[in-house]
Amino acid sequence: MKCAIETSNLAKYYRVYSKKEGLVPSLVGLFRREYREVHAVRGIDVRVEPGEFVAFLGPNGAGKTTTLKLLSGIITPTSGSASVLGYTPWKRENAYRRRFALVMGQKNQLWWDLPAAESFRLHQQIYDIPEASFRQTMAELAGMMEVEPLLHRPVRELSLGERMRMELIAALLHSPEVLFLDEPTIGLDVTAQFTIHRFLRHYQQTRGTTILLTSHYMKDVDALCRRVIVIAGGRLIYDGSLPGLVERFGGYKIISVLFSDGEVPPDLERFGQIVSREPPRMRLRVDRQVVTATLRELLARYAADDVSVEDPPLEEVVSALFSSAEERSRETAVTLTRA
Amino acid sequence: MRGFARAWSVFLTFARNSLIRDMTFRANFLIELVSSSAWVFMNLGFYLLIFHYTPSIGVGTGWGKWEFFAFAGTGLIINSLTSMFFMTNGDEFGEMIRTGTLDFALLKPIDTQFLVSLQRVEWSSAGNLVVGIVLVLVATSRLAGAIGPGQVILYLAFVLCGVVILYSLLFSFAATSIWLGRNTSLLDFWFYIVSFSRYPMEIYQGRLGRPIRWFFSFVVPVLVAVNVPARELVRPLYPRLASDWLFTLSAPVAAAASFAVCRWIFARALRSYRSASS
Repeated sequence: MKCAIETSNLAKYYRVYSKKEGLVPSLVGLFRREYREVHAVRGIDVRVEPGEFVAFLGPNGAGKTTTLKLLSGIITPTSGSASVLGYTPWKRENAYRRRFALVMGQKNQLWWDLPAAESFRLHQQIYDIPEASFRQTMAELAGMMEVEPLLHRPVRELSLGERMRMELIAALLHSPEVLFLDEPTIGLDVTAQFTIHRFLRHYQQTRGTTILLTSHYMKDVDALCRRVIVIAGGRLIYDGSLPGLVERFGGYKIISVLFSDGEVPPDLERFGQIVSREPPRMRLRVDRQVVTATLRELLARYAADDVSVEDPPLEEVVSALFSSAEERSRETAVTLTRA
Repeated sequence: MRGFARAWSVFLTFARNSLIRDMTFRANFLIELVSSSAWVFMNLGFYLLIFHYTPSIGVGTGWGKWEFFAFAGTGLIINSLTSMFFMTNGDEFGEMIRTGTLDFALLKPIDTQFLVSLQRVEWSSAGNLVVGIVLVLVATSRLAGAIGPGQVILYLAFVLCGVVILYSLLFSFAATSIWLGRNTSLLDFWFYIVSFSRYPMEIYQGRLGRPIRWFFSFVVPVLVAVNVPARELVRPLYPRLASDWLFTLSAPVAAAASFAVCRWIFARALRSYRSASS
């Protein structure tokens, strides 16, 4: 089967004017400017099959949003190629633009002073959606998102979570085959996040839409995506499953022991770092390589009612991965040029 | 044809949504209506004052009082149509670039320039449009010659050419915001240039006037925008010479050329779009 999304050596560099602080340097800047070249995306190769739900992870400024913008054809790359549904995105062909959608958590496209229903009507005309299927899709989406009573209220009166759901509906009215979601749950409370998760999961399963999602919330990723792509400093550093990510970058595990005699023995520090000590329970952080040896020794020495071994929290693994990746990229990310 | 019908229905929705929005903020709408009409009436009073001192603008130009008011009315019609459909959008376009919301326009399966040029209709400019139409009707009724239906059709066609010329200039300027990041003064600049079109081109005489007339006829053809339709209606210095025919033809040519240049600049600018922030 043909790939839904395929990129090869995709790169985007920006030249930005590096402004100095203060009045005198600003005046000097009128005549003589220093430019910095920012390498937002530095050669990314990705293949996504139709119907996959893929998460894009990375620290701020890693190039996630830039990649989505390239794939949406909003910006043109400096070099490399990409093909989505067989189209080159930045040619901005109408045939391509009918078949995908992009939702950005930080920008809104609905008319601020009008009810969402009016914006939906406009989308119907722009995408040339037949009346019957428009009505059906809108009713279905509004039902799943539980926003029917809000359709005729001005968007400015909606809460952030309600607005985000409306944005999603607007993007899905034309039943796109590929959907790009850029931080769709940013700033939302747990309930609103949950509603969006449930919706996206159901929608993706029933329609088989190919979805690429960026998010800073591991909950989003954990709930929705089997496959994870990590980029940092504009480069791809991991592409695989979520458990695989923890296995590869989470260098330790958490051993939790419930001691039989009600007390936590002293001198346990030699086995590893103590995460918590709440008698009779104790949690210990142990290097992955010595987990079995440590367990054997602990159980030989002490009587225990219960033992468990867990992976470290996803957030911790990812944050450790990000900070090491950032350090590596900082040395090479920027080059100074003069103009 | 199907594409055209779709564009038309999209435009109607824009117009309708703008009206709903304007009606939501009714007081603001009325203030806009009153303040822009007040400005027009002050100008007309000023013109009346001038004709108190002189029977015509320049000797032998043919621009007497009522010819001139027909001209001023035509200018008002063209300007109010431009501000009704395009001025807010030109302004908004700069803002879309600065904030990065142009992203959404680029996603839509419809011509991007069409979309950003027409997404708001400034209904309060309709007030000045009415004033302009009334002015033209009153002025022509005071003039001797009868106006035939062919003349009216040509007049309307040339008014349309005038709007296309002013629009093209506006959006050529607005598109440069993509390269400059921000371009607030160029829209003011557009306004200054367009103000040259407010008077009959005969006033640009002499060593200073001729280069101005030449520049604003052939390079940035704003003089053509109002002069051609106004002359078609009131025909000062009738019968016309061969060179007058050439002048009349210049309106559609200038409109087509400015529009082509504008499309070209716009398309090039979109290719360089950087999309602000996330």
